Amino acid sequence: MKPDVGRLLEVAVGHLMGETVPMIGRAYGHSVYEQSNVGVLGMMLLAVRHEHERAAARRVEENQELRRMFARAGTVVGAGDVSERLAAAAEAEDTDLTVSALEESNAELRGLLIELHAAVEEIDSPEARTLEEEIWRELAASTRRRALPTLGDT
Amino acid sequence: MADDSAGADGASGLESRLAAYLAEKLPDASDVRVDGLERIFGGASRETYRFVLRTHRDGEDESRRLILRRDPPGSLIETDRAVEYAAYRAFYGTAVPVPEALWLEEDGNRLDYPFFIMEELAGLQSSAQAAAPHAAKLTPQKWSILGEISKADPAALGLDNVMAAVAADECWQRELSYWENEIDRHELCPQPIARAAIRWLRRHPPPPAQRVSVVHADYRTGNYLFDEEGTIRGILDWEMAHLGDPLEDLAWGLNPVWQSADGRVGAIATREEAISIWEEASGLRADPEALHWWELFSSVKGQAIWVSSAKEFTDGKNQDLILALAGWLMGNRQDRAILAAMGHHVS
Repeated sequence: MKPDVGRLLEVAVGHLMGETVPMIGRAYGHSVYEQSNVGVLGMMLLAVRHEHERAAARRVEENQELRRMFARAGTVVGAGDVSERLAAAAEAEDTDLTVSALEESNAELRGLLIELHAAVEEIDSPEARTLEEEIWRELAASTRRRALPTLGDT
Repeated sequence: MADDSAGADGASGLESRLAAYLAEKLPDASDVRVDGLERIFGGASRETYRFVLRTHRDGEDESRRLILRRDPPGSLIETDRAVEYAAYRAFYGTAVPVPEALWLEEDGNRLDYPFFIMEELAGLQSSAQAAAPHAAKLTPQKWSILGEISKADPAALGLDNVMAAVAADECWQRELSYWENEIDRHELCPQPIARAAIRWLRRHPPPPAQRVSVVHADYRTGNYLFDEEGTIRGILDWEMAHLGDPLEDLAWGLNPVWQSADGRVGAIATREEAISIWEEASGLRADPEALHWWELFSSVKGQAIWVSSAKEFTDGKNQDLILALAGWLMGNRQDRAILAAMGHHVS
């Protein structure tokens, strides 16, 4: 689909910030609520541009990482309900690549990650500590995947 | 959603209804008018408007710049406006500078939602960019004023009548449970980082508070006003104020999400400066382990606020874009802060 979504949003932000925001300022003053609100809208559209580009990729990557981890985690937490659900989640695949479907499976996997993390914290074994470190690395990676550099990410 | 451009007496007639309310409150004045009513950006838990009150009294025309703080249809955080109003009234005229609070109206029929009115501290600044050039002058004021809040006697201020009592050894549990519950109620997707932090906080409780103090609970850049000389003229946004451990306030001010790129807390001070000034002004000690607990807690609380902002926006209760921005930008920054506080860094 041309023009690209990213280009369309760039132009839209250009109109908003270059024309609409100054126009509101000239008409109503430069500190009015509406001017600030349109400025935030411009920032949000830049973020949307960034998110649009990566939305499916980051969810697919994260879901794959979580499933790989879950496949190895069952032996650490031992037999039981959590272990069975970890195994089932590890074997699943994302067949619907729409962002909403990927988001839904990501939420299920992250919910299971919380359960796994809490369970591992209670286990006193070297394997548990290794898995715990792996979980923290994944949580750091998940934070990096969600960063929005266009909004001044630090 | 309530009208944003209420000036010129927009569709809801907010200007004229506000004038009618004020005329009742000022029975000895005539020709009571409200001019230039306009909404101020920010303040997602209250709608904030500035206006000029014009009256005729004792043969003289008078005017005063005022602020209207009105509950929105949906709020970033659910707060008690009566407590906020009481905090302004209690600290007015003390070493903690605040604007004069004038009228509280809890009847939602007058202006669609409950509200209160206070004086406007006009022409002042509060952003991080504006604060940075005045860092040397603002730093001792900002952290010593916080020390004064921590030192103040809630009973002497009359705030023990409006703020819920809490024992020194229960402050942490009450706050942690409250904000965990906010995440439970409002999360739109799982929060594995905040949940890990909550588990750690419960396994490693802090010592009892050195004293139970008034906690402002949102003491940060953006919530204080200073003049062009760098003198702080007002501490604002007491909407989350409560009784609790004073380290909660210190930790919130140190939260990494308010830091500048060079690591200065609140964009003006080094961490060591801020703590030292607060300790001297409050007469309290910031035990490093206890402070660490409260700093990690402050990031959980922050995440609860950003989660709630995303929920409010998504549900359509409050479609102020600042809520969406908070959900996207601040939520990610807060996760980074939690990870760092727990010894795990995002490369």
